[in-house]
Amino acid sequence: MSGRARILVVDDEPQIHRFLGPTLQAAGYAVERADTGADALRLAASRSPDLILLDLGLPDLDGQIVLARLRAFTRVPIVVVSARDRADEKIAALDAGADDYVEKPFDIGELFARVRAALRHGVASPGADPVLRLGPLEVDLTHRLVLVEGGALTLSPREYELLTLLARNAGRVMTHTQLLTAVWGPAHHEDVQYLRVYIGHLRQKLGTEASRLLVTEPGVGYRFLPGP
Amino acid sequence: MIASMVAAEHPRPDPDALLVTAAREGKGRLKLFLGAAPGVGKTWDMLNAARRRRAEGVDVLVGVVEAHGRKETEAQIGDLPLLPRQKVRYRGHALDEFDLDAALARRPGLLLVDELAHTNAPGGRHHKRWEDVAELLEAGIDVWATVNIQHLESLNDAIARITGVRVTETMPDRVLEMADEIEFVDIPPAELRARLRSGRIYRPDLARRALEGFFREGNLAALREIALREVAQKVDHDVRDYMRRKAIVGPWPAGDRVLAVIGGDASADSIVRAARRLAEALRAPWIVLHVERPGGVEDTRHALEMAAQLGATVEIRAGTDLVRATRELAAARNVTHLVIGRETPRLWRRLLGLTLTRRLLRQDGGLAIHIVPAAGARTRRAPTPRAPNGWLPWVAATLLVGLIVLAGEVLAGTLEHEALGMLFLAVVVAAATLWGLAIALYAAALGFLSWNILFIPPLYSLTIEEPRDVIALFVFAGIAVTSGWLASRVRLEARVAQGRIENLRRITGFGRRLGEPTTETELLLAVVRLAADIGGRAVVLLMLGEDLSVAADSGGAAMGGDDAAAASGGGTLRGDGAAAGGGTLGDGVAARRASLAADNRHDGLDEGAWAAALWAWTHREQTGHGTGTLPSSAWRFIPMATARGLVALLGLRPDPDAPLDLPRTQALSALADQSAMALDRMRLAAAAARGEAQAETQKLRAALLSSLSHDLRTPLTGIRGAAGSLRMSWNDLSPAARDDLLASIEHDTVRMTGFIANITDMIRLESGEIEPRRRRLPVAGVVESAIARLPDIGLVTTTSVPEDLPDVLADPDLFEQVLVNVLENAVKYSPENAFIRVSAEALAGFVRISIADEGVGILPADLPHVFDSFYRAQRGDRTIPGTGLGLAIARGLVEAMGGRIAAESPRPDAPRDGAPGTVMHIDVPVAS
Repeated sequence: MSGRARILVVDDEPQIHRFLGPTLQAAGYAVERADTGADALRLAASRSPDLILLDLGLPDLDGQIVLARLRAFTRVPIVVVSARDRADEKIAALDAGADDYVEKPFDIGELFARVRAALRHGVASPGADPVLRLGPLEVDLTHRLVLVEGGALTLSPREYELLTLLARNAGRVMTHTQLLTAVWGPAHHEDVQYLRVYIGHLRQKLGTEASRLLVTEPGVGYRFLPGP
Repeated sequence: MIASMVAAEHPRPDPDALLVTAAREGKGRLKLFLGAAPGVGKTWDMLNAARRRRAEGVDVLVGVVEAHGRKETEAQIGDLPLLPRQKVRYRGHALDEFDLDAALARRPGLLLVDELAHTNAPGGRHHKRWEDVAELLEAGIDVWATVNIQHLESLNDAIARITGVRVTETMPDRVLEMADEIEFVDIPPAELRARLRSGRIYRPDLARRALEGFFREGNLAALREIALREVAQKVDHDVRDYMRRKAIVGPWPAGDRVLAVIGGDASADSIVRAARRLAEALRAPWIVLHVERPGGVEDTRHALEMAAQLGATVEIRAGTDLVRATRELAAARNVTHLVIGRETPRLWRRLLGLTLTRRLLRQDGGLAIHIVPAAGARTRRAPTPRAPNGWLPWVAATLLVGLIVLAGEVLAGTLEHEALGMLFLAVVVAAATLWGLAIALYAAALGFLSWNILFIPPLYSLTIEEPRDVIALFVFAGIAVTSGWLASRVRLEARVAQGRIENLRRITGFGRRLGEPTTETELLLAVVRLAADIGGRAVVLLMLGEDLSVAADSGGAAMGGDDAAAASGGGTLRGDGAAAGGGTLGDGVAARRASLAADNRHDGLDEGAWAAALWAWTHREQTGHGTGTLPSSAWRFIPMATARGLVALLGLRPDPDAPLDLPRTQALSALADQSAMALDRMRLAAAAARGEAQAETQKLRAALLSSLSHDLRTPLTGIRGAAGSLRMSWNDLSPAARDDLLASIEHDTVRMTGFIANITDMIRLESGEIEPRRRRLPVAGVVESAIARLPDIGLVTTTSVPEDLPDVLADPDLFEQVLVNVLENAVKYSPENAFIRVSAEALAGFVRISIADEGVGILPADLPHVFDSFYRAQRGDRTIPGTGLGLAIARGLVEAMGGRIAAESPRPDAPRDGAPGTVMHIDVPVAS
């Protein structure tokens, strides 16, 4: 990463900018501020931020629409920060291309962790590192080997695919639809039951320590924590 | 994956078989004691077994037992409790009948019912006792019953042929299938005869006759064989059912298929029964075909109904060529066995080899053909309406003949008497065409006598001189009879065809007439009118608001209470609206009805009619007049049902002189079906509209909730975020930034407090806790201080308060709060540099303060809600910040002070192309 990462904060609440701006700057980021959806789109195009924090309740455009329009021209990581706490809103945002979703009011430390994770993703090109290390877990993508604290696990092909998909996207929420479509195919995008069963198997095989990294986002999907 | 493998290896149980099992669950179990002949000891056996059951603690009740004076049987009853018989009066006789309702009410653990095939006294709910039992089983009561084999419908013909005695009390074969268990009560024929001889079955004199008649040894042996075969078949059935249920794969029969062809003669029933037995034996599906030929109206209703009941697929084809229709169907359905009746064809057909049997035999090599012996009866014609048999045609025919006689007397000199004969013939043909065969024959006889006596020499005697006159007379008689017969036949067929066309036209008309109404009431009226057209002295539509099951419990007496509602007169619809009338049916279940009376008489539903209606409702079958259930009722009730359920009941009281015939019944059924669909459609549309409105409300509520959640979360986010930032980055933040974050926390805390204060105010207002301290106030001062509290944000406010405005009676603090809230709202929705105008005027008893703005205005849809809690125009959380409580609190306060508040948008003086704006009117009571 060359220089300071530039973060675009989109929110219509001045109070949010009031504390997020100084804190992000103090943590070493450059901050751009947008109060409306139109501003957000303009700044995202002209200033090419490295990450966007996006509120859904904007006065001019709904955040979901802003999200869709952003995704039409940029792959920049987008973390949605919103007071909307309904699962279907979260799923819609994630499926529309948001990388993560943080519910207001949030813990500033957690927000920063999510921001860091999302930034890592924006930079790391997939397949760059054939070995993923996440706490006690080690996934060797070239040899299709999964190790927990050095011991190899026996996984079925589906379990392996599911685990690598989550591990590759460590820190991000993967929605049920995303996981089902990637592992089982588009025909099964509604069979959440499959997912529950396989995640259950995975947790059992990973053991207590490693399975703590595999977090359920109720009603939305799963997330693999980047580290303990 | 594992599941699918298992499924592939093991066949699954047949769903049909499981369904039957499921359907039986919750129902009573039926055990039949089946005998081959009277006197074998069925009743004795049943009672004996029942006493053992009672000893085991089962609640046994004797529903009905006919001991026929047999002492052994009577002794077996012993201490079994007896259900009191119902006394029914019929044609002066007092009959003891089984009391179904008492049995249903008593709910015994096991009920004993003798002689299942017994026919109930007229006036009972069911025609047959087995139907009573079916109802008991349905109600979950276990029943044991006795029956003799000769009562089975499909064996009726065979047994009549063997024994020479036709049993009139029959019951359908499916009664056997209803049974969960069958116990065959058997003794050898010789022993039975010995029993009979010893007088243990009948009185000695009767017994002697019986021994020579029904109880001949050969008869008994044959009956016993039939019964044994029937029981064996049932056992076979049970095994097969078991195998299907448990998914045991067995040797399945090859693809046989039976086709029975029936006509309108009496052998139709026999053919159906024979086909059924054959199909049973082959375990094959079977089809019953009737070909409707032009000209003949054959009554096959009974046979076809029976076939459908016995499980056949019924096919009705139209066409002239019976053989071709049969062959086509046989080929299409892979029929292997054909069952036909023995015909009694005309001589010429027989001579030409044109009988059905011969032609089928010639053409179909691949079919096994079974010929059922004829039952010896002639073709049964459907009863056709006869011409009005008044005295008029007879008189007219007599007059016509008299006219010819007169003409003959006048022309006698110039005309040969043979030519006069032609004139008489003309009268006969005319009579035949106009009035039918009977009148034609009468005219022929009269004409013949007149001609012979008055004109053929020797005159004034019946004797004839010339041989050629004898021949002429014969020809006369022949032509008269033939032409009369032909003409009357043509007339009859024309009338039947006319009736069919009329019926067809009527049925096709339903769709149009039922499609026109736009409201339910209109539709119901249309249905009632159509039903009355088909033929009913009175028509009633019963619609149950919720479900009739509630009313069914309360019984017929309660339902009979409001029958006066249907009274009417003069062939017109009642004035108070057909569907709006009514009363209550049973326990609060509202019945709406449309009613039309075709005569002046009181057409209320009596108790019997209500019972029939209830039955039709609960069992979803046609009930009452002319049906198998409650036939003594004057009313016929036809359920109006769709796939989604019962919609209403169509009740009809036919004219006693013109009972419902087949075409009219068909038309009624069609009407019931079509109107049920129309009604259902109308209700679905209404429900859809209601659902839409409900969804709208739901959406609104969700939006309100998310808005409230947003309002609470936003300051919390600020507080938590700022606090977290301070803790996390204390050292990296400049002192100025730290100060600002602390100030931000304070700011959000104030916001939060304000919000919570608003909420508590609202709750206080709603619970009536705020008590205004009202006193006399000048309006101008309050308005000024309220405007002074507004933030200075570039809005222009103008006020115009007349000098002579009366003072108001209000709480100064609360009144000011109201004005502030309304003003703040106006500010919120106004653009910069817009005007806000405050004006005041005196109304009757009130002072009105109007606050007008140039803001975005309020949509008509939002207007009724603007004073609701948490409601904000432009829903969702991305609107103008605020609590959504300001106006709600304003209204609460104004109302607490005895005033009122209203919104108007766009404001009356808004420019046509500018912002619509809003005016809020606050009315406060004047101080007296």
